Amino acid sequence: MKALFLGGVAADTARGIRDELPDGLAVEILDDPIEHARLPQAAANADILVSNHWRTDYPPAPRVRLVQSVATGVDLFELAALPKGAAICNAFGHETAIAEYIIMAMLALHHRLFEISGEFREHGSWRTSWVESGVPHGEVRGSTLGIVGYGRVGREVARRAAPFGCHIVAANRTARPPEDGVERVFPLTELDRMLPLCDTVALCTALGPETTGLIDARRLALMKPGAFLVNIARGPVVDEDAIYAALRDHTIGGAALDVWWQYPTPAEPARRGSRHPFHELPNVIVTPHNSGWTAGMVRRRWDEIADNIGRFVRGEKLINLVATN
Amino acid sequence: MKAVFLGTLAASQAAPITGFITEAVRSEIVGDGDPVLLAEALADAEIVLTGAWRAGYPPAPRLRLLQVPLAGTDGIEVAALPKGVTLCNAYGHEPALGEFAIMMMLAWRHRLFDIAASFRAGSWYWSPTVGGPTRGEIGGRTVGIVGLGHIGHEVAWRAAALGCRVLAANRTSREIPPSVARIFPMSELDLMLGECDVVVLSCALTAETTGLIDRRRLAAMKPDALLINLARGPIADEDALFEALRDGTIGGAALDTWWRYPSAAEPAPRPSRHPFHELQNVIMTPHCSPRTDGTIERRSRDVARNIDRLVRGEKLENIVAVT
Repeated sequence: MKALFLGGVAADTARGIRDELPDGLAVEILDDPIEHARLPQAAANADILVSNHWRTDYPPAPRVRLVQSVATGVDLFELAALPKGAAICNAFGHETAIAEYIIMAMLALHHRLFEISGEFREHGSWRTSWVESGVPHGEVRGSTLGIVGYGRVGREVARRAAPFGCHIVAANRTARPPEDGVERVFPLTELDRMLPLCDTVALCTALGPETTGLIDARRLALMKPGAFLVNIARGPVVDEDAIYAALRDHTIGGAALDVWWQYPTPAEPARRGSRHPFHELPNVIVTPHNSGWTAGMVRRRWDEIADNIGRFVRGEKLINLVATN
Repeated sequence: MKAVFLGTLAASQAAPITGFITEAVRSEIVGDGDPVLLAEALADAEIVLTGAWRAGYPPAPRLRLLQVPLAGTDGIEVAALPKGVTLCNAYGHEPALGEFAIMMMLAWRHRLFDIAASFRAGSWYWSPTVGGPTRGEIGGRTVGIVGLGHIGHEVAWRAAALGCRVLAANRTSREIPPSVARIFPMSELDLMLGECDVVVLSCALTAETTGLIDRRRLAAMKPDALLINLARGPIADEDALFEALRDGTIGGAALDTWWRYPSAAEPAPRPSRHPFHELQNVIMTPHCSPRTDGTIERRSRDVARNIDRLVRGEKLENIVAVT
């Protein structure tokens, strides 16, 4: 049996999990599929494909029975070009990293961390100091956190937020019982009822037809004037023009944005994440789509992938099965 | 009865505190710069709210309650108080400090300042889309709390919920709460320090804790450890900490408490004789951690309740000393 690890992330994975793979499993690594003359031969006899993508113009891979994505999203696999009946599996392991990011962003926004530490470092300002009876900042305790998308990440956020003594509500496409300190789960169709309750809204939903442009100008106006928005989901869940205007005009208090509407391309490697200058707004924490990108996430994801390959080789039930092709 | 709010710190809290007092209490605000006004104010005061009491203050013959509107009573010279005074402090800042400590350990492990500044400047360096480096998490790390009091507990249970292993060092032995894996006696602090990825100072400033974090103890910490000081600046040795941060003996620090503070003579001093603001591995804030809306409300309620208790002849709370 042979596993083909295709692409840079998969190649790193192969090197990271080499010792965990079953004895007798042949491993072939192709770092860069585009320039590699070995691909036709490598694909021809692979039983397992580990990658983040597959394309219709790639050579045939007729024996593949397990397509193991190295990411959570499988949208870059052109499945028509892979054998019918193959198991399509994804990988997680990013929940801890993203949940920590959301808690951190919520704290930093309420406590005005960047503003206060920046003033103190740059200008030696004691304006916000307790000893000067300065301008008070907020805290998370007693505030309300609304989680949009109550899935794996959303639940991990709730579990970590609960000990802060905040109220937690959630909105989800499908109905779910509240747990982990969540007081109420609204159906996504009733999001408008949840938003006015929240001091922090954390977007943890997948991008789909129902969630594209979900947070538009009307819904931003439903939020409290001082409320904070945290987006770790996908840029287009939020209307780009509307959120920029809302932050610039203080319709809401601030935001932490990790995901964007546009990304660097080979032609434009330094392209900003938006056509609007979010980087000029002081009430926004901006990060380059790396909320899940931690050493711990990489390790957990490798372990999941190694586990699944082992299960496949032994003929056991797979984990993280997304679909059967 | 009369309550005097003495000094700017107490005066700034006068409005919310008096708003919560239910018994009949007159209140008056006075600075400590004018001895005549101060003498008049203290002459018939039963209650004084202040962060500082020094030898040489005018007589306060009717004083029964000296209410410090904060936790630290290190500004009070107890020996200089008249006889028969109960010294009380106040809390209510614990949740704010608990949140602050967690925020700092997350910001440090997640390299929030580096990443946000780099991306704000237009670089995708930290993004996985361009093969950027990974960062750390707090889950699974070891957090050591020096002083497991009100604040230490608030830090402990939040850190435990984040999946941290929580250790503590405390002067007196205590029952181990579920959020804490092990409590070390203060005499074994060095042992604990070597295990910690994050060390949180949340102890009172006393003779025993002044200079507690000295050169030797900094060297006992892990080279990538973060030191968070929410307590008082002088618990860490100023020279030793600056050198340890500059030379990479420890990874970094999040400092909210300092060795120098604004005074009438110097209203905007740098917080140390060393240029901590030039070090990139320091997150620095101007002793703002307790200064939240929530603290002001909780503390004002507690202080007002204590004043009501005195008026009604009930037992006082948060007694630190009786003279």
